[in-house]
Amino acid sequence: MLTPWMHLRLFFRSFFLQTGWNYSKYQHVGLAFTVYPFIQKLYAQDCQNYPSVLQRYLENFNTQPVMASFCIGALLKQEEYIAKAKTVALHQERLVEWNGIKRSLSITAASIGDRLFWGALKPLTLLLALCAWLLLDVNFFETVSSYSPGTWEIWGACLAAFFVFNVLALFVKWKGISLSYFAPNNGCFGLTQFDWNKTIYQAKRLGIILSVILLLWGVLYFIHGWEKMLGLQFITRGVLVLFFVSISFMTRDLRIPNMYIYIIAVILFNLVCLFQL
Amino acid sequence: MDTIFWICLLGSLLELDTTYAFQLTFSRGIIAGPLLGLVTGDVMTGLQVGIFTELLFIDISPLGGLLPPSAAVCCTVSMALCALEIPVYFSFFFGAISAVLFSVAEVLVRKHRIVWIQRQEEKILKHPSHITWTILQALFLSFLYTFLFVFGMSASVGFSVEKLLPYLPEQIHIASRFAYMAVPWVGMAALIPLFRLKTR
Repeated sequence: MLTPWMHLRLFFRSFFLQTGWNYSKYQHVGLAFTVYPFIQKLYAQDCQNYPSVLQRYLENFNTQPVMASFCIGALLKQEEYIAKAKTVALHQERLVEWNGIKRSLSITAASIGDRLFWGALKPLTLLLALCAWLLLDVNFFETVSSYSPGTWEIWGACLAAFFVFNVLALFVKWKGISLSYFAPNNGCFGLTQFDWNKTIYQAKRLGIILSVILLLWGVLYFIHGWEKMLGLQFITRGVLVLFFVSISFMTRDLRIPNMYIYIIAVILFNLVCLFQL
Repeated sequence: MDTIFWICLLGSLLELDTTYAFQLTFSRGIIAGPLLGLVTGDVMTGLQVGIFTELLFIDISPLGGLLPPSAAVCCTVSMALCALEIPVYFSFFFGAISAVLFSVAEVLVRKHRIVWIQRQEEKILKHPSHITWTILQALFLSFLYTFLFVFGMSASVGFSVEKLLPYLPEQIHIASRFAYMAVPWVGMAALIPLFRLKTR
């Protein structure tokens, strides 16, 4: 039933999973939209079933958009079992199973996806891009710079971050549908095909190393060329960096977002400058 | 005014990528910033705004329905203000504030969308093929209110600051420039705890 053409259709439609996101039923419209061609084909001989089937997909559903592919594949496999049920009792039993899969798999997939894609991969690709820009001598610290970097120097790092994130995300999105659809009964809907915890752990370990390198490299880059002028500007820059790095570390434990530190800095600096200078 | 219109148009399309369509990271700061910079003709400022935006919002992830400030909105408003020749340290401040306000507006939209969604559900159950039309409508409405928000913010803040700019004392410029220069350091320092292996 999951032909290559259907796989492709589900894959492209899953990009609209979050369209119509709301606080009542979350991604339910997107889920119904994604699976609609499959349902249409499965119940082609039984068109009057569409509303009752779609009604089930229009109930609460919320997960991480990339990992949703695992839920889609598993739900559609179960939908086939429901469609093939010979007795009412078996039909009811499979419906209960379908609801269980939908609820439990969406939570598991969301937990993995949030930690992997939003918590590790996205900041990691940002780090990759920042390191690449420093390596290519793109000075993103200065407000006014006489040096204008070339097109490739700017876009190269952007594209690297874009492709690294998307190659991995799209691979998981594509494979997730077929892995969960063809998973054996004891196969945890294909989720065990990847070692998620190890991947997240390795990504975070790499992230810490790169963050420390970037911070030290950034400091060196920021004060580079100022050795000859140990004047007010050099000292001010040094103090500014030290002050904000310390503040940022301290406020982590208090869970104060960066945004508030920035707003406080704007207000504080304005007050100091207006009344002291 | 033309440039602001095109920046807001592109920014609103990019913002759809944050939640409603694709999620291919076109809306993240380091991509959206330089893309918007192409419209203004200053890619380097776009890149800087993009990097600063990502670093500023790096500690807020969209986990469990939490709505972080939109990087695309921050970049759009910042670049629209830059196009009006407002210094980047002022532009970025208003861009960041707009992003926070947009996330508040977005929460309200998501709460009130329920009424519209319920009506659509009824139509879908009567005519299942209506689901494609529902998706298209939802995308268009999301694009429209994002565009109205960013255009409204850019135009109102832009013209107010433009009028005020000649009267602002030099101290305000120095202070805002200093605060702006602090953004990458606050962000880069936040990256280390972000990758901490033990979660609290």
